[in-house]
Amino acid sequence: MIRIENLTVQFGGIRPLDGLNAELTASIVGLIGPNGAGKTTLLHVVSGFVTPVTGVVKLDDVDLLGLSPTRRVALGVRRTFQQEYIVDDLTLWENVLSVADHVSSSGRSAREETARAIDFVGLDRWSHIPGRRANLFERRMTEIAKTLTGRPRVVLLDEPGAGLNEAEADRLRQLLLAIPGAFDLQLVLIDHDADLIASVCTETMVLDFGKRLALGPTRTVLDDPGVRRAYLGNI
Amino acid sequence: MRTAKPLASVNLHGTQGAVLAMFATLAVLASIIALTAGGYWLSIFTSGFAIALAAAGTGLLYGRLGLISLCQFALVGIGGWVTLRVYHAFHVPFEICLAAGGLGAGFIGVLWGLPAIRMRGLYLALATLMLAGTFQVVITNWSFPNGGTGFLGFMGDRSRIDIERPPIASSDAGYFIYVTVVLALGLAVVEWHRRTKPGRAWALISRNELMAEASGVHLVFYKTWAFALAGVLAGVAGGLLAGCYGGLDGGAFTAADSLLLFAVAVMGGAGDWRGALLAGLMFRVPPALLNYFGVNGFLATMLFGAGLIHALVTAPEGVSGKIKALIASLEGRREDGLLP
Repeated sequence: MIRIENLTVQFGGIRPLDGLNAELTASIVGLIGPNGAGKTTLLHVVSGFVTPVTGVVKLDDVDLLGLSPTRRVALGVRRTFQQEYIVDDLTLWENVLSVADHVSSSGRSAREETARAIDFVGLDRWSHIPGRRANLFERRMTEIAKTLTGRPRVVLLDEPGAGLNEAEADRLRQLLLAIPGAFDLQLVLIDHDADLIASVCTETMVLDFGKRLALGPTRTVLDDPGVRRAYLGNI
Repeated sequence: MRTAKPLASVNLHGTQGAVLAMFATLAVLASIIALTAGGYWLSIFTSGFAIALAAAGTGLLYGRLGLISLCQFALVGIGGWVTLRVYHAFHVPFEICLAAGGLGAGFIGVLWGLPAIRMRGLYLALATLMLAGTFQVVITNWSFPNGGTGFLGFMGDRSRIDIERPPIASSDAGYFIYVTVVLALGLAVVEWHRRTKPGRAWALISRNELMAEASGVHLVFYKTWAFALAGVLAGVAGGLLAGCYGGLDGGAFTAADSLLLFAVAVMGGAGDWRGALLAGLMFRVPPALLNYFGVNGFLATMLFGAGLIHALVTAPEGVSGKIKALIASLEGRREDGLLP
């Protein structure tokens, strides 16, 4: 569970997050909002790359804000970025292992967890290909597999569905639904695809200008007239 | 058509294969050189092989971490200085002096690498070039220990006590083989690093530092590790050079030489052991060839400058990268049944 209290981030005169309060309890939480709403900034704060001017962010009962990014990783915080960062001259297997190296308890468990993550995302047949030869879907799956090694407690995914075709998005949907149960973790998902959010997330938070516009069961939130007006338009 | 491959064997097979290929290549090359080259050319190849060690460190920093360090030849000088100083102070076996030279340069390499924790690209290149310039000024004034007294151990240019080579490698040919063995071990260590946990961590750092941190990689530790390793390799290279010539000349370790070392490391290819070997040979053989034919050897510097521009524009993976691509292409054609 992630608890956020009075979280404010300020860059000069801009406040990407402005007094945000939220308690994210569901196993898969959607995070939506228009561009510039503060979604990615919130992920940066949780993972330790942006320091807020005020506020508290807790993972279960642990206050994250005093910890370095690597310490947060050790506690179980994992994330992806909007851009996939696959190393071109490492194989997909090595790309995942490169994370497991630092979050697993031993070399043997790093390899076992890498194998499990690779298998789980369906890359077992392609894991030997170098990153440069992987297509967008394989790269996205590799990024997700990287977050599943060690003992992840919360995984923050920043637009994992961007650019995928319909069949690939469907495979991604099935995968996301299976992750929390298989790895006993909480998933926080940013995406602009309302269908993906609606079909995967049990709880959704809507941000607008750094403030919370809505938080609750996904269907209720997406049907909220205020949310539709501010973000979704006429769907 | 992509095919499945046993997962556990991928990395191990690659590492063993690369190291065995490197050992075989060096064995064949060293045998040919030792059997055919005479005194002058043997010393050229010996120093070229020694410098290949330093090039391996330079290539590791650039190829794996994307860090441009322009002070690596100064670290060769530091390693040489410590090796000679320890020998003349304690008259201990060559290997102990060599280890001291490696460790000394590794320690200084870590100190000099500290700016890299915050800097990259042009800024790091300029900072390290300044360090190379500083070393040039210092070593020009101090010179290298040659049996004198005091901290500097220098007793003037006219007389010199040479460092003793290892008893098993007292002849020029024997010392060349000795240097080849040390080079093989050094390159094997680098290859092992490239293909294991530190190498993967360096690859993540090179790809994106934020992503690396979000993956649990401790940036300061792994960058420091890389600078230490590159420093040790450069230091050992300096010690081997001292053994090759008996002593070292204070005017032979200029900032321009550090630039040249970076240039040949990029041209040779910063991606693997072949690049380091080519870089070491390029550093020493073309100038010697030019001198041999009565042309000023410094002309090679101009050629290397042009070669560096060519490499950066058209083949950033260097000559070794081209060789690797050719091998991969031949293997692909064989798999497709186009070659026997």
